[in-house]
Amino acid sequence: MATGTRVQNHKMEFTAKEDPFGDIRSKGAKRWIIAHIFHGTNKFFVLIIFFGTILTSILNSALMVIIGVAIDEFMAGMGDRLFQYVVVIFIIGVGSPFLNLVNNLLRETLAQRMERDTRQEFYTNLLGKSQSFHDQQKIGDIMARTTNDVRMLNFLISPALSLIFESFSALVIPILFIFLFYPTELLLAPLVFTVLFVITLRSYIRKLGPVAARLRGEFGQMNAILNETLSGIEVVKGSSNEEYESKKYLKNAQLFRNAFVEQGYIMARYLPLLLIAFAVTFGLGHAIFLNLQGVPSMEIGQIIAYVGLLGNLRFPTFISIWVFSIVRLAISGSERLLEVMNTESDIDENIQGRTAEIVGGISFRNVTFSYPGSSQPVLHNIGFEVQPGQTVAIVGTTGAGKTTLTKLISRLYDVIEGQVLIDGVDVKDYHLESLRSQISYIEQDVFLFSSSVFENISFGKTGSIDQVIKVAKEAQAHDFISKFPKGYYTEVGERGVQLSGGERQRVAIARAFLADPKILILDDSTSAIDSETEDKIQYAISNILKGRTTFLITHRLSQIRWADLILVMKRGTIIAQGTHEELIKTSEEYRKIFVKRFDLREEQLLKEMGVT
Amino acid sequence: MGFGLGLGSEEYDRIYRDRDLVRRIVSYFVDHKLQMSVVIIFLTLTSFVNSLSPLLSREAINELESTRDWSYLLLLILLTFTLNGFGWIFNYFRQRNSSLVIGDVVLKLRQDVNAAVLNHDLSFYDKYPTGKIVSRINTDSQDFGQTAELSMQLISSFLIVFVVLGVLLTINIPLTITVLGMVPFIFIIALAFRKVARKRTLEGQRALATVNSFVQETVSGISIAKTFRQEQKLYNKFNGVNEQSYRANLRRAYVFNFVFPALSIVQGIALVLIMWIGGEGALGGQLKAGDFYLFLQSLWLFFFPLLSIASFWPSFQAGLAASERIFALVDTPPTVLQDEDLVLEKIRGKIEFMNLGFSYVVSADVLDRGKQDILPEIARAKVFSNFSLKINSGESLAIVGHTGAGKSSLAKLLARFYEFQDGDITIDGISIRNFNLKFYRKHIGIIPQTPFLWADTLENNIKYSKPSATKEEVLWALEQAGGADWVDDLPNGLETNIRERGTLLSMGQRQLVVFARTLLENPSILILDEATASVDPFTETRIQEALEKTIKGRTSIIIAHRLWTVRHVDRIIVLDHGKIVEEGNHDELIQLKGHYAKLYDTYFRHQSLEYIEKAKEFVTTVKEGN
Repeated sequence: MATGTRVQNHKMEFTAKEDPFGDIRSKGAKRWIIAHIFHGTNKFFVLIIFFGTILTSILNSALMVIIGVAIDEFMAGMGDRLFQYVVVIFIIGVGSPFLNLVNNLLRETLAQRMERDTRQEFYTNLLGKSQSFHDQQKIGDIMARTTNDVRMLNFLISPALSLIFESFSALVIPILFIFLFYPTELLLAPLVFTVLFVITLRSYIRKLGPVAARLRGEFGQMNAILNETLSGIEVVKGSSNEEYESKKYLKNAQLFRNAFVEQGYIMARYLPLLLIAFAVTFGLGHAIFLNLQGVPSMEIGQIIAYVGLLGNLRFPTFISIWVFSIVRLAISGSERLLEVMNTESDIDENIQGRTAEIVGGISFRNVTFSYPGSSQPVLHNIGFEVQPGQTVAIVGTTGAGKTTLTKLISRLYDVIEGQVLIDGVDVKDYHLESLRSQISYIEQDVFLFSSSVFENISFGKTGSIDQVIKVAKEAQAHDFISKFPKGYYTEVGERGVQLSGGERQRVAIARAFLADPKILILDDSTSAIDSETEDKIQYAISNILKGRTTFLITHRLSQIRWADLILVMKRGTIIAQGTHEELIKTSEEYRKIFVKRFDLREEQLLKEMGVT
Repeated sequence: MGFGLGLGSEEYDRIYRDRDLVRRIVSYFVDHKLQMSVVIIFLTLTSFVNSLSPLLSREAINELESTRDWSYLLLLILLTFTLNGFGWIFNYFRQRNSSLVIGDVVLKLRQDVNAAVLNHDLSFYDKYPTGKIVSRINTDSQDFGQTAELSMQLISSFLIVFVVLGVLLTINIPLTITVLGMVPFIFIIALAFRKVARKRTLEGQRALATVNSFVQETVSGISIAKTFRQEQKLYNKFNGVNEQSYRANLRRAYVFNFVFPALSIVQGIALVLIMWIGGEGALGGQLKAGDFYLFLQSLWLFFFPLLSIASFWPSFQAGLAASERIFALVDTPPTVLQDEDLVLEKIRGKIEFMNLGFSYVVSADVLDRGKQDILPEIARAKVFSNFSLKINSGESLAIVGHTGAGKSSLAKLLARFYEFQDGDITIDGISIRNFNLKFYRKHIGIIPQTPFLWADTLENNIKYSKPSATKEEVLWALEQAGGADWVDDLPNGLETNIRERGTLLSMGQRQLVVFARTLLENPSILILDEATASVDPFTETRIQEALEKTIKGRTSIIIAHRLWTVRHVDRIIVLDHGKIVEEGNHDELIQLKGHYAKLYDTYFRHQSLEYIEKAKEFVTTVKEGN
């Protein structure tokens, strides 16, 4: 196997051990496809298929020549070699299908390999893209690319590539035979045809190009729309908007249909079909003319064989309509794949980076951030210092930038200005793997994969069932999990429907426990109504704060109250920071949180809190 | 390496007989009578031209053997030219029209299956991954279209066969019989492959759908993979799924590739026989050279369509398998079925649950309500049995209770997202099964627990239930839902595209948007499944105020996850395991000192200053302990 070179020209958060196509991806779809076709052992397949096809073609043409000679002999009344002819024809007629079989099996293997390898390459690339890239993608379109566009590359090999070989040999070999066995002037029809064929075919392929691109594009769009609609089906139904969604889909399906029909129109105008018919007829006329002239080698049998050879040209002509539309679609599909793969990702794996164990001191220095593609800063000039092991609570109105701030720590996004430092080292200088594996994140909208509870908990770090049970207990999740019919092996539905928000959160806490990070970010937003759940969540959260630096985005006043540092945020800036004791005295905004919650006047609050 | 992502079929899959499938497919084409007639006419004409050409050549060759009349030969050649010209023109019209027909049929098929899928109730979506359904609707219909196109081309080749066969019979009977004698072998071979081919194709398609589904899920959860740095794990898992698809599709391809060579061998044998018998005939003087030529040519004409069928067999089978998968989706009956189609002037909003019985049925039997009674009674977890509750018009009702008490289920049943098994639910005295569903749901405003937003502008998201709304109304709704000031912080204000699922917005903002969306709809009945995710105290107060305004004058059901909300409602019910255990307004229930009072106490304990101050011990003991 070829040893892969790491991608040099692109930043990636993840790369497979081998990536032999890293350099070629920026060089266009055609070169990328070719590189894949000739990659590793694939090239031997291609060679065998190529020569196998040529051999089949030679056999088929030879068959025609032999038949021509035989008929002439029969017509002349010479029958002694009848049996020999029959045997030869039998050997060729039955032998070439076997050759064909071997060829086909090789072709299929190559085709499926292409599909598998390109899909893997594409998926690996997706994994390597930064979060800001993924934010901007539509899942349905990505799916269309990974399944359908990739599949076009399968079709490119089977049948297209082998048909191209067949067409090539079916074009060249009969002409070669005509050249070898018949008067040179009989080359007139096939050669003129070939020239015209190549010219018209080129224009055909050119015309197909834009249509093929549209076909693939519209398909992706159609997939994206449908995927979104089905994901939000509850809202669709709740608003009685099935018809609207149906129309939206139909509009896209209609665009796809239009592209399809246009492709059909281009195919209908395919001129070579007319050319080949004319060429064969002309060839027949030409041969008859030579026969009438009394050219010695143009017996009737020869005419039959010659026209038979010309007839062999029909195959490449017919099949090209179809083959080249596949080729065009495969190129368009590849362009769509490369479009994604070549999108500049902004965060790099940084293999040479720092891998030391994190202690947990964090500082933000004049950090400004805006999401890619937007000039509106979400965070302005953020600065604060956190000591190892401290708990930081972030409070503020919705949309103030609380969640965004925490995402800069694990480099889900990179700052625009300023620096984020962990233990005094810029996060950009860490090895991404090392950095992220020491930071855990319990997100607001807990995402669970549709696999078992066990697998979901051990997602961050593989653990034995005993370890998983242990962390689930610490996360107060063991009780409800053991009530499930299959306990830890219960499958969580695709949309996590079987678990309530509080339960999902505790699964996520267990997941974080197992990963045992140095830095934890907990975007806590659940609010449970019943005391039991509330106590459990409180307990679980308090439990996980132990021995690590923690950022809490929370509305639980009890958590805020006792944090070591509280950041009060408003519209992307920190308007106040400090401990509860400090803030309650100094920050109007901070006091408001408590005032609002307890329906108290400020003086009362201060009094109740023992602040004078 | 299964990874538990097997290639099993879905519960809604059905087996169709080929005949039924074909009939069903044909019915789609019948809708385009005019275009289909054009296709058929030109198809026939093209076939005639194609089969006449070799006949003319034969005539010319025979002429060479006899009188060798130069002008007659020239005439024949010119005739062939003209014929070919016409052939191309005929084919041109055929191709154009068949593209149109296929484009339209696939479109119709997509429309049908999409409509059928949208008609399904939520139990369907709970069970089947979106990725797989999407793959069925788009990819399978694509496969179907390809097959239809090939089939049309094949029909033309078949017509040629019959024309040629007729001519052959008049020339030489033994040779014709020899050619015909090959036909049964061809069919035997093709049919022998049919079953296994279909099976392998289905497996291949399923494997691909699994890949699709896997990609969909992991891309949705990519940020988790990133934060936990688990790309390698996903990568390995993906390789498993991808490899599985590779193997399944390779097996399929191998099966198909035995067909073509097998048939080629039959063709080879036919050639040998023609040479042999024809050779004898020619030696005996019964066969002219032109006839010999015709037989050899017609062997090609004859075998071409058959071989094409064989080599396109994969696509053909893929097409049938695809249509089977599509029709299975179309034919699965939705469980939520309306008995009548009532549309009222207005819904006043009196709701009554009468002896309601409901369980989330977990197997295929959910697919057919009519079959309920003939199915063996399986012990199922009943969410409700014999549940009764009356809600007056204009009343606001809050439902509280533990997780799993059935709060959300009640709302979902009322919204007609799921079908109930026993009893009835009525609105203004009419069973909700009797309403026109569109009308009904228009009058019920639902705020779901998890806010779902579209990859569209903020404005369009708010207008989703009422597309005719003006910008002023949108701003009004936002204002009602706690204020629109935050909109100014978005890059393009109301015109900002908030991305798939509204990921550009914070969770709290998403809740505000959903709230505004429902306010704009102005429903007669409001169902608020409070989000478990809380918003910050500032926003919370704003929503609270908005809510109080909203519930005035309309029947409202609030599934409370936070007791903050319920103090101002007319009536509160406490639900436990599908039963009402307490009922009354806030003050009454506090007096009662039962479940509610306990819940409220503990809730407020958590919210009280005292608790918060005490939490220090709680937090710090845990933190520093052990």
